[in-house]
Formats: sequence, structure tokens, C-alpha cells
Amino acid sequence: MRRLAALLLVAVAAAACGNDPYPHADAAARILYVPFQEPPKTLDPQVAYSVYDHEILSNVYETPLEYHYLKRPYELIPGLALAVPEPRPLGDGRVVYRFDLRPGVRFADDPSFALDGDGPTGRELMASDLAFSLMRIADPKVGSPVIETFAKIVGLRAFGERLAKLRESEAGFAALRIDEQYARAGPVDGIRILDPHALEIVLAAPYPQILYWFAMPFTSPVPWEAAAWYDGREGRDAFGEVAVGTGPFRLARYDKRSRIVLERNPEWYGARHPEWKAPAATYPREGAPGDAERGLLEAAGRPLPFLDRVELRLEKEPIPAFTKFLQGYYDRSRIPKESFDQTVREGALSPSMESLGMRLERSVEPAVYYLGFNMIDPVVGRPAAERGRKLRQAMSLAIDTDEFLRVFLNGRGIPAQSPIPPGIFGYEDAYRNPYRAPDLERARHLLAEAGYPGGIDPATGAPLRLTFDTGDTSVQGRLRYQFFIDAWQRLGLDVELAATTYNQFQSKVRNGAYQIFFWGWVADYPDPENFLFLLATEMSQTHSGGPNTANFADPEYDALFRSMKDRENGAERLESIRAMRAILERERPWIELFHPEDYALVHGWMHGMKPSGLAVPVWKYQDVDPALRAAERSAWNRPVRWPAYALAGALVAFLLPGLQSWRRERQ
Amino acid sequence: MGRWLLRRTAWGAATVLGVLLFLFLLFFVYAKPQDVARRALGEKASPEVIAQWLANHGYDKPAFWNPSRPLDTMLAEHYRRMLSFDFGRSDADDVPIAKRLRRGVGPSLSLTVPLFLLGLPLALALALGAAFFRDTYIDRVGVVACVLAMSVSMLIYILAGQYLIGRLLRWFPISGFDPDPAVIARFVALPVLVGLLGSIGSEVRFYRAVFVEETGRDYVRTARAKGAGDGRVMARHVLPNAAIPILTNAVMEIPFLFTGAILLESFFGIPGLGSITVDAINANDFATLRVMVYLGALLFVAGQIATDVAYTIADPRVRLE
Repeated sequence: MRRLAALLLVAVAAAACGNDPYPHADAAARILYVPFQEPPKTLDPQVAYSVYDHEILSNVYETPLEYHYLKRPYELIPGLALAVPEPRPLGDGRVVYRFDLRPGVRFADDPSFALDGDGPTGRELMASDLAFSLMRIADPKVGSPVIETFAKIVGLRAFGERLAKLRESEAGFAALRIDEQYARAGPVDGIRILDPHALEIVLAAPYPQILYWFAMPFTSPVPWEAAAWYDGREGRDAFGEVAVGTGPFRLARYDKRSRIVLERNPEWYGARHPEWKAPAATYPREGAPGDAERGLLEAAGRPLPFLDRVELRLEKEPIPAFTKFLQGYYDRSRIPKESFDQTVREGALSPSMESLGMRLERSVEPAVYYLGFNMIDPVVGRPAAERGRKLRQAMSLAIDTDEFLRVFLNGRGIPAQSPIPPGIFGYEDAYRNPYRAPDLERARHLLAEAGYPGGIDPATGAPLRLTFDTGDTSVQGRLRYQFFIDAWQRLGLDVELAATTYNQFQSKVRNGAYQIFFWGWVADYPDPENFLFLLATEMSQTHSGGPNTANFADPEYDALFRSMKDRENGAERLESIRAMRAILERERPWIELFHPEDYALVHGWMHGMKPSGLAVPVWKYQDVDPALRAAERSAWNRPVRWPAYALAGALVAFLLPGLQSWRRERQ
Repeated sequence: MGRWLLRRTAWGAATVLGVLLFLFLLFFVYAKPQDVARRALGEKASPEVIAQWLANHGYDKPAFWNPSRPLDTMLAEHYRRMLSFDFGRSDADDVPIAKRLRRGVGPSLSLTVPLFLLGLPLALALALGAAFFRDTYIDRVGVVACVLAMSVSMLIYILAGQYLIGRLLRWFPISGFDPDPAVIARFVALPVLVGLLGSIGSEVRFYRAVFVEETGRDYVRTARAKGAGDGRVMARHVLPNAAIPILTNAVMEIPFLFTGAILLESFFGIPGLGSITVDAINANDFATLRVMVYLGALLFVAGQIATDVAYTIADPRVRLE
């Protein structure tokens, strides 16, 4: 029995030689290995709105426009379109954009194109596919989160309403094929198909930012055949679980609880026609300053993509993921908090990591985190007039962002002076917000001027009581918020943490029953409008459900915002932004905290890696050197066998005297 | 036996129906489907999208009582779905739950079956050995080692195993899973080893106690008097007579091979049924969670009946009346 067990153990050990998690056959292939922490929620391009969704989507589907991979500030380049369209005003306030789609682009092969029959399994991309996708955004059944933005297209919202009405009122309409439903409820006045490859979009009013939305997965053309076929019934997948796109990669395996595999799409126009030298199918020849020194222009002018496959493995726990990265089994990695100090020293890679050939890629994300005041609150908000303003200014002066970043984020972030992060027009490196450097002296002075000397509320004779509302009940969350509360306590204020469930917090926000909150915003697109609109009156959370959670309402700010938002980047626009910044500086609806900084570790064998905070099809630009990787992996992962032998020896030594005495007794 | 089986099954069914009622109250009355919807759809979802979602999942019906159509309630739907094994779609991402379960069974079994098939004989062998050498230093040190092994939390074994064996010694991948036959053993080896270490202590100690008790019995003395050797006494006489407690322990484990090992699966990233349960808890995915609890209850009841039946096979003296 004992021998059998030992044999089995040996068998298992032998079968499992080494820690390589991949089949040996893949060692020489051009495969990129990356971990993913959370599975995508949906792969429906018109619905997906999380970074995890977009990471996959932007490589499998394509958009009419894309961002230049290297240049910063971000710049639009043609994707599926032949050129970045110019706005054409119609004179009555409406604006037209014409998209000429590249002829000869094909969708990846998929059985849905055959629609039950033996037809062809792929087809060419048409302008009608882009129109279909835009119409899906308005379809209430699809549930796209961005209908508010695309409702700027003339008649799109009305189309969605007609569709819903027909589905309800007309028997059998809901059972029609989806393209027939859209044809019956259409057309949309603001979407005109001019010829098989050209399409015009009519906006009811100028909105130059619309072009950025045509670089987001929401505008990825999807074939109606796939949307009709993958309905989640009778064993078919739901449309959010498949991907039928035109992109450089196609979804080869989608097991989102463990493994997602993308493989090179042979039908991609860039792969079939490298001679077109299409901007989105060629590695850029120019980059941002410093890119050439970092080796990012080595592949300049070469046809994309370089990788044969991208293997994504689910890694919920950061430490095993990081260990596998250190073993060479992932090509890039985030740095877990626990390992930060041994990895990074004073913002640079530690010498031991550098000797392994790794690189550290730092980039400030286009995002801002802030503490907000509810401006309709009678104590901290606008009703308190000058007292409220001075209270907010004092509270702003008490928060030391550098300390916060050091304690909670290993310093991964830069203190924010205004809502606009670096890399976005309107960010000015030299600008210092006078209320954003800690100054307790001045804060106490302001607090006294506000009528709360030493933090004491004269009405009660006790420290002024305020509430910090949050929907985050985690321990980490509590620790973070306690940092702010402690800071305000130093002024004598008594701020209480009201941590409730997320849903309770949401209903408090809807009802306007909150005072102070912690919030963040990640750019949809690289334009100051996408940050400054967070404080525009029309976006007020409590009045219109918009993202202006501070309920800030300032007519002067609104007027400046209106004049700024449709302007070209230039001196005039900058002037408006500066004026808005001055209002925010004085009024303090926000205490701007930080712009997070992403630290990515990359192995020496990985090329063409440039971090980006937006949905960019990054994998077609990236490459690996499999030979170098294989060599490093085998050097780093020689198993240490002696403990097994030592353990076996110790066991024998332990049992031997007992066995001998037993044998003696028997004899 | 037939009547006994019938009665036992009826009791089991009543238990499962009760569990289902409890699940309904907990997941669909105490926790509001509206909250689940908001969680699944994100904060930017409009009221229409939420209403559509609730309708798609059948959560827009009255909970208990529908005067116009008495059977068109969430409760009736809940029982109908569960009893007909029509599990519907996940609340978190709309994937059919049955499909998810089918995908999860393989990874779970590839972990739990080796764990069971290696663990039981190993524990029995070690326990027999300890009983055989009882009152020698081998037995005493063995018992101390068992007590030490069973007092350490499984979590410590997992983390220490990953660090020592996965990271420092580099024998196996630190975590992960791949059903590819070329690599599956590599992934399963470490969790199986860790699982064995974590469970073997208590099992060996338990079986050893059983064996020690048996070796003191009269039939053992008789066998020895007849000249049976030590090995033969242990293997042919003690082991079969200790079968009842062994069966109680072992047969009860078999149904749960299918539900997976929650801790091992979630720490080693094995996409089995155990980690489906954990994910469902994290995502407020009550549609999936109720299925997991329901299946667990079914398997538990089935396991109990199977244990009782196994007694009659192992020991002719046991009669089920």
C-alpha cells in the first residue's frame, strides 16, 4: 500500500516536470502572454464600456478612426475610414461628417453569415454596417450606455422610440429579423448612405468631439447577420459572448473564466493588402519625443501585425500573476503593492530587476480623482454662500495629496491642480493651484473667517459635523477615507464616515442627500471638454442624472464652457480654460487629488509597448522575441530538486530504526 | 429495503424543497432583483434598460401571489426552473448557467478525483502503518505530526505551497489551469499536493483510531493465535472490519467531488465549480448561486442515502428497515 502511494506520487511528479504553464510546442511561436484580472462583461461593441471589455474589443473589431499609437497628445488617424472627416456646417446649425470607408475590408469568417444555409461565411464591410451599428446604439433592447452622446445625430433617438413602439404595438414585429426591424423603423434622418462605402452623419448642433467617439468601440461596425444569429437562444451564444469583426485579430477561444485567445486574422485588410500601407495597418514612422530612444520606432513603416497569437489568462490574485511574470511566463505586468518596494526605487527600476533585462514603462493616465462637495448642501454648498466657499477652501488646504499618494499608492500618481490631466489640451505643467498645497495655518484662518473658529460651529458650540458619503465599505476604502477625515480633524472639524452599500449611496446621490464624496473620472476621449463638462450645470447629477455629482452650477462657468467646448485647440480655447480653472480654484466644488500613474513592467524581449489610457488596438503594434524569451525562461526556471531527495532521505532515516527493531522482534 | 429507500428519498426531497424555499427568500425577497440588475448593468444604465433586464430574467413578476394567474409568480418560476433543471442565465453576464456548469465540471473533477484517489489510500496506508507500529516512536511522532498538520489552516498550505514549491523550488506552475493533456498534470500537481497535505492529518488520525480500536478486538487475537502474520492481520482482518467508519467518511465525499474544492480552485485559478460559486458570491449572481446551493443540497441528500446503502454491502449485519 505504502509502495503504491509512493509510486503514484512519483508518477505525478514525473508527469509534472517543471513550472512552464504552456505547451512546449508554443515556445518558439510569436505569442504574447498577458494576464487579465477580470473577465470582460460583454463583447457587444455598442454596449461594452469597461477597460477589460475594450482591451479585447479594440483588437478584434475596428473603428472608423483610431488614435495614433505613439504621438502625445493623442491624435486621430484613419482606421476603417480613408480619412479623418472634416466638419461641413449646413448653415442652420447642423453639421455633416462624411465617412468614406475603405473598400475591400472583410469581416472575419463566421458561420453566422451563412444564416442556416450553405452560403459564404464572410463578406465585405459596407457603409450600411456602420449605419446598423449606430442604429443599435439607439435600440432600447441593446441597452447601449452612450445613447445620450449619439442622440446628437439627427433623428437617432426618434428611431429608437419608433422601434420600441412598433415592437409593442405590432404583433409579430418583434419576431422579425433585426435588420428588417431596423429597416421598418428607419430611416434615421441624420445617417445617409451615399454609396456602398460612403456614409454621412448629420449632427443637430456642432459637436467636434464626435470624431473621438468614432475611435471608440461603440462605433465598430458589426454585421447584422451576427447580431441576428447570436441571440442566446437554442444553444446559440449571445451576441455579447462572440466577436465577429474586421480587426487584425479574431477571437479563437473565449473561455472568460480562464483563458481568452486571439489569433491573427488572415482576412484582415492589412494582412491581405500590406501594399496599401494603410495608416492603421502600418507601424508609425513618427512618435512622441523620446520614443526613438526607447526603441519604439524600430519597426517604423513595417506592416502590422507582428504577433501570431495573444494568450490571455485569468489571474484574479496579483501575487501569482506577478510571480509568473518574474518567471518569464507573462510578457508584461502591473506591480502588486506588496512587491512595489523591491521592484521600484525612486521612480526607477531596482538594479536587480534591471539586470534581468526588464523595463519600467510609466505613464500618467488621462484620469482625475477628487473629493467633491455637494454644492446644493446648505452647509458645504452654494446656499452657505461666502461661509461655504471659505469652508471648502479651508478643507482643500488641509489635504496633502503627496502624503496620500505615498501612503496608499506607492507614489503612483501626480497631484492634481485642476480637473485636466497631463496629455490633454489645457493642462499646464507650471500651473499651481493655491488651494492645493497643504497649509494648515491659512486653512484655520479661513475657517475662522467662515464662522467656524477652531472648527467649532457657533450654533451648537461643538465641532462642525459633516458627513463623508461613500458606497465603498471595503477596509481599504475606509482607510483611505479616514486619511481625509483625519486631515480635517486637524482643523477641528468632525467629519463622520457614512459607508453604505453602493446602491444606498446611489440613491443618496439621486436624492441629493450627501455632503462630501470621493470620485474619479477616466477620459472617454482626450479633450478638455470631457473633464470640464463634469462641472457644467446641465450635467448636474441630482437634477438631470448627469456626471456632475458636485451639482456645481455657475453661470459664468457654463458660459465659458459653452464657448470653449466647440473651439479648436488654440490660444482662445486656452484662455477660456484658464478662466474656468480660476473659477474652480476659487469656488472649490472639488478638492482635486491626483492623476493616477500607471507603472508597467515589460520584459526585454517585448517590443513596441507604449502605455495608453484610451481604447487603442495595442496588440497589432507589439511584438516579442521568442528565442530570447525561451532562453531566459529556461535560465530562470531550473527546478531545485535537492529538497525532494533530502526529504526522502530524512523519511527513510526516520523509519529505518523502527523497521529494524520490528524485524528483530519478529525473529 | 425498498420501503426504506422510498421513505428516505421522500425525506430527502422534502429537505431539498425546504432548501429551495430558503434560497428564494434569501436571494429574491431579502435581496432585491433591482439591486442585482443595477450591479450587473452598471451605474450608467437607464431605468428602461433595467426594466428590460428584469423582464428578461423573469424578475418583474410578483414574488408570491398573482391574483390573475396564480402560477405566474417568481416563486413558482423558481421551483419550476430548479425542479426541471432549467437553470436559466447568469445574473452577472447572461451566460447560460447549464453551459457554465458543464464547462466547470471537468476542471473540478481533474482536481478532486486525483485528490480523492490518492488521498484515501494514502491516509489508510499511513493509518494502518501507525496502528501497526502503535506505541513506538514512529506512531507517536506520526500522531504529533498529524495533529500539527491538521491545526494549520488550508490557506497557509496554499500560500506556503505556492511560495515554496511554485516560486522557490520551481517544481510546478504556481497557479493556473489548462485542460490540454500535455500540460494538465503540471497544473494539477501542486493543488493536489497541497490538498493532500491539508487533509491528510485529520484523516490519518481518524483512521488510526479506528484501526487501533479494531486491533484490540478478540478476532484479531484469534487470528494471531492461528498464526496469521502481522501484515495479513492488518490487511485481511482489521481493514475490512473497519469498513463502516471508513465508508461513512469516504462515500460522503464522492458527491462533493463534483462541487469542486472552493479554496483550492480559487487560489490556484482552476475554473471549476468551486470557483464558479466564489465568483457568483462576489458578483451578487444569485441565479448561479441558487443553482450551486441547490445542487449541493441534492448531492448531500444523495450522498447520505448512498452511505446507508453502502453499509449493507460492507456489513451483512446491517439491515435497512
